[in-house]
Amino acid sequence: MGDLILTMKGIDKTFPGVHALDNVDFELYRGEVHALMGENGAGKSTLMKVLTGIYKKDSGTITYDGNVVEFTSPREAQQAGIVIVHQELNFLGHLTVAQNIFIGREYMKGKKIDDARMIEEAAKLFQRMHVNIDPTEKMSNLTVGKQQMCEIAKAISHDAKIIVFDEPTAALTETEVEELFDIIRDLKKKDIGIIYITHRMDEVKVITDRVSVMRDGAYVGTLISKDSTKNDIINLMVGRVIYEDPKTKSMVPEGAPVVLKVENLNAGRFVQNVSFELRKGEILGFAGLMGSGRTETARAIFGADPKDSGDIYINGNKVDIKSPKDAVNNGIGYLSEDRKRYGIVVQRDVAENSTMACLDNFINGIFIDKKKEDSETAKYVESLAIKTPSVDQLVVDLSGGNQQKVVLTKWLVRNCDILIFDEPTRGIDVGAKSDIYKLMNELVKEGKSIIMISSELPEVLRMSDRIVVMCEGRKSGELSIEEATQEKIMHLATMGN
Amino acid sequence: MYQIKQNPLIKKIGFNRIVLCLVLLIMYGFFALFAKNFVSYNRLLSAMNYAYFLGFLALGVTFVIATGGIDFSIGPVMFCAAIMSGYLLTHYKWPLWVCLITSIVIGMLYGTLNGYLVAYKDVPSFITSMAIMQMSKGIASVFTKAQSVSWPQLAQENGWYRNLIKIKVGNTYLPIGLFILLGVAIICSIVLNKTKIGRYFLCLGSNKEAVRLSGVDVKKWQMLAYIICGTMAGIAAIFFVAAYTTVQPGYGDQYNNEAIAGCVMGGTSMAGGLASISGTFIGVMIISILQEGILAIGLNKNYQLVITGLIVIVAVYLDVMSRRRKN
Repeated sequence: MGDLILTMKGIDKTFPGVHALDNVDFELYRGEVHALMGENGAGKSTLMKVLTGIYKKDSGTITYDGNVVEFTSPREAQQAGIVIVHQELNFLGHLTVAQNIFIGREYMKGKKIDDARMIEEAAKLFQRMHVNIDPTEKMSNLTVGKQQMCEIAKAISHDAKIIVFDEPTAALTETEVEELFDIIRDLKKKDIGIIYITHRMDEVKVITDRVSVMRDGAYVGTLISKDSTKNDIINLMVGRVIYEDPKTKSMVPEGAPVVLKVENLNAGRFVQNVSFELRKGEILGFAGLMGSGRTETARAIFGADPKDSGDIYINGNKVDIKSPKDAVNNGIGYLSEDRKRYGIVVQRDVAENSTMACLDNFINGIFIDKKKEDSETAKYVESLAIKTPSVDQLVVDLSGGNQQKVVLTKWLVRNCDILIFDEPTRGIDVGAKSDIYKLMNELVKEGKSIIMISSELPEVLRMSDRIVVMCEGRKSGELSIEEATQEKIMHLATMGN
Repeated sequence: MYQIKQNPLIKKIGFNRIVLCLVLLIMYGFFALFAKNFVSYNRLLSAMNYAYFLGFLALGVTFVIATGGIDFSIGPVMFCAAIMSGYLLTHYKWPLWVCLITSIVIGMLYGTLNGYLVAYKDVPSFITSMAIMQMSKGIASVFTKAQSVSWPQLAQENGWYRNLIKIKVGNTYLPIGLFILLGVAIICSIVLNKTKIGRYFLCLGSNKEAVRLSGVDVKKWQMLAYIICGTMAGIAAIFFVAAYTTVQPGYGDQYNNEAIAGCVMGGTSMAGGLASISGTFIGVMIISILQEGILAIGLNKNYQLVITGLIVIVAVYLDVMSRRRKN
């Protein structure tokens, strides 16, 4: 490891109503991979935005490459050699790889853009990174992994001395993750400092040298990655003991009645002849690869998308669900995998979001009973530990995990008997994750039934009483929790291949 | 956990509306200084003539904008309603009260058509309302064979409807129209902020899909916003003729823009999900005083168009900026 390339000292930043960064220290050596961890809303992204000039800090100093600096725009930071590879990639899909890499600083030949030279330079970059990407390919034709490589190539082409990775592996396959790690190791050798934001514990040991943890806007501590355990890190992150309750056998009582029965459901190409039963008090895991039709099945049951054929029975009675309204009237709630698009109404407040699915219960004459609405919501804010100053807070101001809890609240207030949770813990931190697991277990104890769609096998194995596996729009198998293993699930999930 | 520091009184009234009131006062002061005889009760009454019909248009369109839509047809729809019901009154000799109701019904029908296309056929409101704007102009012209229509004067038979805006008491006039507009605005405010209707409008304006997936029949509610808007245009027609009596087919576009300008100025966001009735009310007052002042200062009406255009740009710009800051 070389000398310090970056020192951030006493960084403070306050937004109206939120003390986002509280006297935070952070340092980075040349050639170091430094993980930055913390729950959602802990201040990791804010710290990086202060570093790259997107936000202006209130106080503190940033020393970069020996000089005290204060960038006023990401562009300035970029020119100085600090580049972020964002979690949500920014590129223009209809342009080529080379055009994207050199966007805004194209090579010119007179007044014309010199495409040939850009392609040549891009090819050189990829050669240096030992990856195989055609610079003339359209960006939108690449896989997410390859798109990310292009972003990294762009960063390197800026002569970056510091590269910030914001949850780079969130959307990558395992092979792509390996490729990424190879590139990161390579960057290390070139003495580039790397800040690596992640939620994944396993990666910390594999790829990082040190790990710094933030909590509630404050710096908590730094550990040497190879000398610390997963639990050391988690304890720093949440400051409390994590709820652990792995499942070894089904918790569903013998002879529990079937509450939901789906027969030969067909809906487009992703849902073909799907049949299954859900019993009272059961958590039914839905496993499968991305695009295997789990979400589509859920949406068809919920009436969010039209179905072609198939029957749905609730408590033995055949029901005709044509719209989400019918589904909700039949006591089904659906927590979407994409909460920003389908879950929350960001410009409205917590209470308004919470009562959305059963506003009629809060009507007094012609008026909304605001008092009742607020007090009911406050109950759930308390019991789900939603971090919000008040029930009047706009949901847009909450962190991801807390937004997810607001969506949960919506269905709890509605008191649905059948809940479909689609990736309930995606993109949220360990603390909130554990809260949600705990809540799910409590719900089934109360006699609710849950369908849980999840792409994380450990999560499926930990929560489910029974597991349905889907593959290419069909149900490829069903496993009891006693017989299920990761290998068996993967085998069923890839049956077509 | 966190505490927001803000003066509770300012928070309650809204910073934006305090600024608007100041703008209104400063503008009035400006015209009082530079226009001859501007400070008089009659001037105010004359400004209010403009505020009444514009107010109803703006209140109606506030609901549509709250749902994330837009309605560019309200001005011509108002004219169409005024022309057709006026023609029924003067040419076919229908009773006055029937004609007044007809005017409202015509507005409501246009709103229903608009809302149906937007909510159930997924046509962008921008397009449907443009089409309806053209249609309503054409229908009015065809109906009267391109003749303008003059509603009766106060002294004439069937002239009592003009009392809807002001009534003579002794030597002075009582601005009845202002009371009616205020009353309707208060009802609108209650509907928007305290009832299920307003709640659904605002929520679906912010994220329609999330509201649909909460089991709400969003199409019904979305259509209702346009029906309310159209109905308000029908009411606006009555107040337009009560103020100016003569209506010519083929016009009315200008009033869309002024009504929308009033909303946007008042803090209703073109992106949907945020709306303020009191803001719209003050916005309409600003535009009405502005148009009266411009005439009083001796400039022609075209200047008003320029200034209203500028106001819209500034108001939308401020809205966009405040959003960007939040993100």
